[in-house]
Amino acid sequence: MKILAIDTTASPVSAALLNDGFLLGEFFLNTKTTHSQTLMPLVDSLLKTTDTDIKDIDVFAVNAGPGSFTGVRIGVASVKGMTMPLDKPCASISTLESMAYSMPYTDGIVCAVMDARCSQVYNALFMLDNGTIERITEDRAISISELENELSYYEESSIYLVGDGALLCYQSFEGRLPNVQLTPMNIRYQHAYGTAMAAQKLAESGKLITSDELMPVYLRLPQAERELKAKQQKEQNDQNEQNADNK
Amino acid sequence: MQKHITTSEAQTERLAEKLALTLQGDEVLALHGGLGAGKTAFTRGLARGLGIDDGVSSPTFALVHEYDGKFTLYHFDMYRIGSYDDLYSTGFFDYEGCGVMVIEWSENIEAFLPEKRINIYIERISDNEREITIEGAKPI
Repeated sequence: MKILAIDTTASPVSAALLNDGFLLGEFFLNTKTTHSQTLMPLVDSLLKTTDTDIKDIDVFAVNAGPGSFTGVRIGVASVKGMTMPLDKPCASISTLESMAYSMPYTDGIVCAVMDARCSQVYNALFMLDNGTIERITEDRAISISELENELSYYEESSIYLVGDGALLCYQSFEGRLPNVQLTPMNIRYQHAYGTAMAAQKLAESGKLITSDELMPVYLRLPQAERELKAKQQKEQNDQNEQNADNK
Repeated sequence: MQKHITTSEAQTERLAEKLALTLQGDEVLALHGGLGAGKTAFTRGLARGLGIDDGVSSPTFALVHEYDGKFTLYHFDMYRIGSYDDLYSTGFFDYEGCGVMVIEWSENIEAFLPEKRINIYIERISDNEREITIEGAKPI
């Protein structure tokens, strides 16, 4: 089974080609270039240099969120575009889960964190044990302080921070959790390899979807309903003016 | 902090044009000022200073306009943005560090503006005169 996987959910962009669990090729860039300009050349080069015809790909996998608004849409739209004419199945993968799949032969907890601004992160925890990956939490948006509190209950395990929020969290914890470690650069960010590995598992359990069913996955921040302070004031002022006009 | 008085729209544009020459290419400029204060005029001057000749218009409906010049200029209007979800779905966070961002009605997203930014306050003194206060920029 050949799986083409892509990730465009945060600042890096990557594409990987997996053949029956064997990594044939992977491209990864982490520059500030727009993914809409880099993704397709990466995919094209990957197929060409591995001498692969796109028609021979069995599964197209994508990190469908959480992530940046534009990034998630670029990834999902690209896979929709590639699979629709070929009528091939898609694998919709959680960005956070793909990170855990990038480092399975670790023992301990993978804490995947993506910066969601305002001291909040998109997060999920995974327990890794001798090559198995078990999800501990759902994907969620959580404040960094809440996450720190939650992690303090796992003092027996090594905890590995991955994702573009890893450094932010590590610095925010200020050394209060001695079992928390920053991962090195080569596995810190999400890679399409992890996406492909997660997709392989989905395919084995028969959970692939059609091009039509593939959708972006966005997580809401708990405080999303909160109106922004200045906006409320402006509305209050507008209201006051209106009242004054009516008098 | 620097204060400037301008006595015409053209002068406001020229002041912004000079400010543009001090930019490095990844700044966030938060504009503050009511309707008709001259925020779009200021942005027009800024664009000209970055070598952008296209007509700059208010992005109230498109939310963001993009111009290519010496640096890419992203011109946002946050007038209709009222929540984090609104802001997230403009792709605002995806533009950070990719060019110069100029934000009209930045009051509406105050909680989400980066700490390192240039604040510009435009106050109306009379029909033609404006007091323009610039915080966090190099001297013009």
